[in-house]
Amino acid sequence: MVTLTIDGRTVQAEEGAMALDVAQEKGIYIPTLCAHESVTPYGACRLCLVEVKTAAGRERLVTSCLYPVEEGLEVITNSERILRNRQTIIDLLLARCPESTVIQDMARELGVEKSSYHPEDHGNCILCALCVRACQEVVGVSAISLVNRGVEREMAIPFFDDSTACIACGSCSYICPTSAITMEDSGGVRTIRMPNNETEFEMVPCKVCGNYWMPRKQVDYISRTKGIEPEFFDLCTTCRD
Amino acid sequence: MQNYTVYVPRLTPKKEPFAPGHRACVGCGEALAVRLACKAFPPNTIVANATGCMEVISSQYPMTAWRVPWMHALFENAASVASGIEAALKALTRKDKRPDNGTKVVAMAGDGGTSDIGLQALSGALERGHDLLYICFDNEAYMNTGIQRSSATPFGAWTTTSPDGRESIGQKTWKKNMAAIAAAHDIPYVATACHSYPHDLMAKVAKGIAVPGPAYIHVLSVCPTGWRSAPDLSVRLGRLAVETGVFPLYEIENGEYKMSLELSTLRPLQDYLKLQGRFRHLSDDTIKEIQERVIKEYERIKERAR
Repeated sequence: MVTLTIDGRTVQAEEGAMALDVAQEKGIYIPTLCAHESVTPYGACRLCLVEVKTAAGRERLVTSCLYPVEEGLEVITNSERILRNRQTIIDLLLARCPESTVIQDMARELGVEKSSYHPEDHGNCILCALCVRACQEVVGVSAISLVNRGVEREMAIPFFDDSTACIACGSCSYICPTSAITMEDSGGVRTIRMPNNETEFEMVPCKVCGNYWMPRKQVDYISRTKGIEPEFFDLCTTCRD
Repeated sequence: MQNYTVYVPRLTPKKEPFAPGHRACVGCGEALAVRLACKAFPPNTIVANATGCMEVISSQYPMTAWRVPWMHALFENAASVASGIEAALKALTRKDKRPDNGTKVVAMAGDGGTSDIGLQALSGALERGHDLLYICFDNEAYMNTGIQRSSATPFGAWTTTSPDGRESIGQKTWKKNMAAIAAAHDIPYVATACHSYPHDLMAKVAKGIAVPGPAYIHVLSVCPTGWRSAPDLSVRLGRLAVETGVFPLYEIENGEYKMSLELSTLRPLQDYLKLQGRFRHLSDDTIKEIQERVIKEYERIKERAR
């Protein structure tokens, strides 16, 4: 355990825990869009910026989701300087995603009503890589990734075209903070819409009630990796005994 | 509703504001529903809980299962207490006595505390337009005191005060439509949910808290003790209630109906009834009568959602 101060409050925390997690646990609010407890921190959105001062006296601005706490650390989460930096970041995000209600709400919260940059609608994706991390770390199939660099960076399936690895579980659409990825089931077809492409997946019907309940590729994936007979998935969870 | 299986549950919030180790019966659907609802709460949430199962099982002196600020109210006034909290927070913020940190207020009650005893308090809170979420956990009778009938008990169900026998088929009246009563107050958000559809329930609670103004969510919670069903069937019974059309899942946003789960065909009612001892005495004729009514009601809601 180490002792540190956050906004003047002395708190105890596990050594190596990230400053953002410690602050949230103590009920201190830090805005963020790309942090999620189920995946490793990544530092994409930069909104969780805080000022830190180490015991040795070094001061700087860091992303709290990636900064491990240490003995004697002083963290400030809401100074004028931090607010100015956050406003610039959300201003840029607002110019990128002017239609996203999540970004609009966050901007309003940080005191930015209208972007001062020329808005260029890039859809709702903010390149936070939550979907990529969830697909890799939680689902374990790595069907999507961020490709290219700089202004051309985007979230995509391989070659913008190949969804062979995807098992249509929908984790990416669930975790997406700005609803840039959506999932829709209708009549035996699951459609996953990503910023760059739209893919349709076949659903498996239950042999008794006929309700479509799981994507075919997910059945194949689970039976292949876990050694379960595909017949196990013939019945939906309601019809199973 | 999104049909998430296997992988997405690993991404749901890991916090447990409703701690395990409480004294609910084995297979309690209501405890499951409360646990899921609490997971969807934003960081600063205050709960006002009416008397009922959830209060009794979660707060036996000197212990508590609540990791959120929680207040036990009387049977009838969860909505009044919640409105009081909300008004007090607003007043303190106005007088600069506390920072505006987005604290939300949630009221919880059972079906008795909502549709019988607490109805006028609820109606008042909805009409005054307080920014709160009211969740009714409906297990279809007064289970805590020993399975007495409430106005939410469905037609034909056995309870200790609506026994079946030569002269009686059990509950003689139809279930009160609380969601429609709440919607009649012209509030921004009304929804029905069930613990057997956890992502749907969590999404609705989060939405209900986020909307400005009052919101009402009616959650069907299976009660193995009172429904005389096997405890391991609680989740399945919830699914069957929805899939047979007995308890359709829908949202009413600013008066607009929207079905949460589109069913192409309804399951036969018998699938749902035969698993519960409280419907064991029903004759085929009565089941047919209930089936017709269920289909009629379901079609009516579907029609409104069109």
